Amino acid sequence: MRHRSAFVVTIALITMLTLVPMGMVSADGHCEFADYTITLGGLAPMSAPGAVAGGVAMDWAFKQAAADINADCGVQIDGVNYMLEVITGDSEGSPERGQAVAERLILEDEVDGMVGVYHSAVGLATMGIMEENAIPTIFSEPWNDNVSANGIIEFDGAAPRFADGIDHIFRISPASSMVGSVVTDWLIALGVEDVVLIVENTDYGQPAAADEQARLEAAGVTVSQIDVELGTEDFVPILSRIQASAEPPDAIRIVVTGETSFNLTQQMAELGIAPTPDTICVTNQIAFQHVQYWATVPDGNYCAFNRVGIIPSLFNDTAIELNAAYEAEFGDIVPSFGMASYDAVFMMVDAMERAGSYSDATAIVAAIEASDIMLSQGRYYFSYGSHNPDLPEGTPTFMWHQWPDPIVTVMQYFEQGQSSLEAAVVYPEVYQTHGSAYVVPGTSP
Amino acid sequence: MIDAFLAWLLLAGPLWAVIGLWALPQAADKRKNDAEPSLSTLQIAGVVSGFALGPLGIGLYYLRPRWITRATLTLGLLVAVFIASQALVRIEDPNLPSAAWLILAGPLWSAVAAYMIPRRYREAEADDRNALTAAALGGFAIGPLIIGLMWRHTPKISRDWMIVLGSLGAWQIYTLFALHNADNLCVAAPYHITYLAQQTANGVVIGCIYSLMAVGLTLIYSVQGIVSFAHGQLYMVGGYFSFYFLMHGSNLLSQLTGTEISINPLWGIPFAALIVFLMGALFERVFLKPMHDGLIERVAEYAILITFGFGFVIEYTTLAIAGPFPQRTDRFIEVRRFTLPRTQVTEEFAFGPINIIGDRAFAMLVGIALIFALLYFLQRSWTGRALRATSQDRQAAAVTGINPTNMNTLSFGLGSMLAAMSGAALIPIFAWVPWVGAEMVGRSYVIVVLGGLGSVPGALVGGIIVGIVEALGAGCHPDPSRGAAYKEAFALVIFALVLLLKPTGLFGREQH
Repeated sequence: MRHRSAFVVTIALITMLTLVPMGMVSADGHCEFADYTITLGGLAPMSAPGAVAGGVAMDWAFKQAAADINADCGVQIDGVNYMLEVITGDSEGSPERGQAVAERLILEDEVDGMVGVYHSAVGLATMGIMEENAIPTIFSEPWNDNVSANGIIEFDGAAPRFADGIDHIFRISPASSMVGSVVTDWLIALGVEDVVLIVENTDYGQPAAADEQARLEAAGVTVSQIDVELGTEDFVPILSRIQASAEPPDAIRIVVTGETSFNLTQQMAELGIAPTPDTICVTNQIAFQHVQYWATVPDGNYCAFNRVGIIPSLFNDTAIELNAAYEAEFGDIVPSFGMASYDAVFMMVDAMERAGSYSDATAIVAAIEASDIMLSQGRYYFSYGSHNPDLPEGTPTFMWHQWPDPIVTVMQYFEQGQSSLEAAVVYPEVYQTHGSAYVVPGTSP
Repeated sequence: MIDAFLAWLLLAGPLWAVIGLWALPQAADKRKNDAEPSLSTLQIAGVVSGFALGPLGIGLYYLRPRWITRATLTLGLLVAVFIASQALVRIEDPNLPSAAWLILAGPLWSAVAAYMIPRRYREAEADDRNALTAAALGGFAIGPLIIGLMWRHTPKISRDWMIVLGSLGAWQIYTLFALHNADNLCVAAPYHITYLAQQTANGVVIGCIYSLMAVGLTLIYSVQGIVSFAHGQLYMVGGYFSFYFLMHGSNLLSQLTGTEISINPLWGIPFAALIVFLMGALFERVFLKPMHDGLIERVAEYAILITFGFGFVIEYTTLAIAGPFPQRTDRFIEVRRFTLPRTQVTEEFAFGPINIIGDRAFAMLVGIALIFALLYFLQRSWTGRALRATSQDRQAAAVTGINPTNMNTLSFGLGSMLAAMSGAALIPIFAWVPWVGAEMVGRSYVIVVLGGLGSVPGALVGGIIVGIVEALGAGCHPDPSRGAAYKEAFALVIFALVLLLKPTGLFGREQH
């Protein structure tokens, strides 16, 4: 009798162990999943010299998106539910490392799509690999214009990606020119006459600064540029140079990312260079992370900064939920690259569902081109791609496979320790929250 | 106004400097008077007087050798620089003096002198310890003439020699730079003195802070003969220990007293020092002691790998605990910056203002105080002397009753502690992230080699030199963009030159 019971139990166990991988799996009791797990590769800088804080936020967003999708029965293709997993690869902010990690994700982990990328240099270096291996890709943070422009124009001696008939790369972060135009339009509207650009020596900083310089000079503004290396801590000798000039500049624009920008902004304020009634301080979007900003730039009141992404007062339900989850995890407001990374995963899944396949790259690309989906940053769509390959004259080439509607604003703190939710949106005028295009240091809007 | 330059070249300048270098010792040799200044002093007097006033200066000292004192030589050097500057600034085409300098002196003659003279000294069995440095500096400043003189007379070379020749070379570089960049902030009158003073002050302040970290590295090397590759991470973790101590300590005190209390970051320094000292000592006992006990076969490689691994563990553990987001503590002092106000010296010339960020000035004072405290400890206490004795000869130290094993542990603990104190002193100044040590430690390696491995005063001087060179390089480079981008590279140029000219570093021990 005892032998029979043991036999039955053994058979039952074997049956279960055999059937579980072959058939459907119940994840949380209400969904049945196929045994295949769809995997996406997420490229993010998780260690130095990359922008680790940005990478951690992006990694969190990937995982959060996968968790939310799986909680909603995963990726649903032709009536079958697939679990979704995002495997984060650490690019370290380095093009070479990014390429190696992208190849590992594609060739070893056999991912079905790619999302993420923070640094432009990594985006530019890896897009060829994704294209060669026909991996649908949605970049969520690199700003360099060529990331999307290379879809239809030659870049660095390489043929346009679309030359092969299909371009697998999309971008939902803004191009540098889209950001730069807002900041420069604002400065020009304020009537500045001379501007100092302090620029990081990277594939993001240099083209972005060149674009801003061209726009400012076209408006008759005198521009001088100082390049700095990311990771530099002491800027005082460089700032002393500005301080020694006969007249203080009207504005100092910082095109530098990460903690390097925090050090620069703080030292600039400590030396009394900017923000002052004479000189406008315009730092970069990371100032929106007000907990980090005030912790490291205690003298940075009245600095303005460009903000990419939807402004807090316009957050939709998805953004509010995402922000709440992020705040619970990190105690700060969700950054735009966190929102974009979260949205990129959802967009890829949405495209796979509409394409009816997780492996047919051509169908997925076509589905992404046809995207029309409302996510945390708003409505996503692509104006130009193989579905509409002719860019009208005057349309910048970076609009290829580029989400055209990322919101870019200029915001400004006007109280010490202020939350970025309460900071003034000063430009464009349509988004102004305090009725002022600039809050002069020492005053209130 | 080329005439002024040519007149100076004929009536004074490098040619007469070399004649003076030869003539004054010759004259003294003939007189054979015991009251004459020493040979090297006479040589310096010859160079300075010839360069400044030509035959007039040489004749003056020839007739009145008792007038040769340090004060008159310094005055002479200043006069020389002034006369030469006045001659050069009148030249409209800056390419002429540049070309003349490149032909008559400059890097080519420096290399030739550095190659020939030390060999000559060894052949003549003369003291060649400073021959390489003096020859290279002399060739750079005075050109082929000094090669002939040193070749023929193989004079004894004192430190004053190198100071004079180095100053001449530096002045020549500055003057040529000024001729080619007349509008540069570092040379354009009347504000260039203020600007140079500002940049020098920037360099000294940050250099003293660099030194504190480098001192720990050099202490470990001097006693144990290993380079700690965990030094940057110990610096980083010192900042974090201070940060968390201040945060939790302030919260606790606020809760206990019911009022908002913020502990001054100064108190974080001893706390971080204590914790990291224990960390370092424990690590040394567990992982480095086997190396000194002869249990490890490839000691040098082991030391590199084990300290590198230690640093790796510290960095990623900190990243896991503290996260990647930058932190910073409150200020040491509420003064945002100290300003030396503008002072009108003459009708045309004003000096100032010069700004120093308050917290940096405070951190600099902390750094200097700690370095002098360490020097006092090393020089005056029994334990300090035991450390020095161990660094000089382990076996001899052991014979006198010093336990080298304990000294190893103490040195690693102290070295780690100094890195941590440096971190705790800088967290109110820089945004602090788990990888913040990477840049700083790279600079520390440069400083300790520049100052001389194992030398505490060398680390202090090396740090200040690196700070000043970086500040002047970033501030004076004709292209502001490149000046800022190449900031770290300027110190590396000096580093490479020192390695070439004096491989033991500025204060390193001579190996015989």
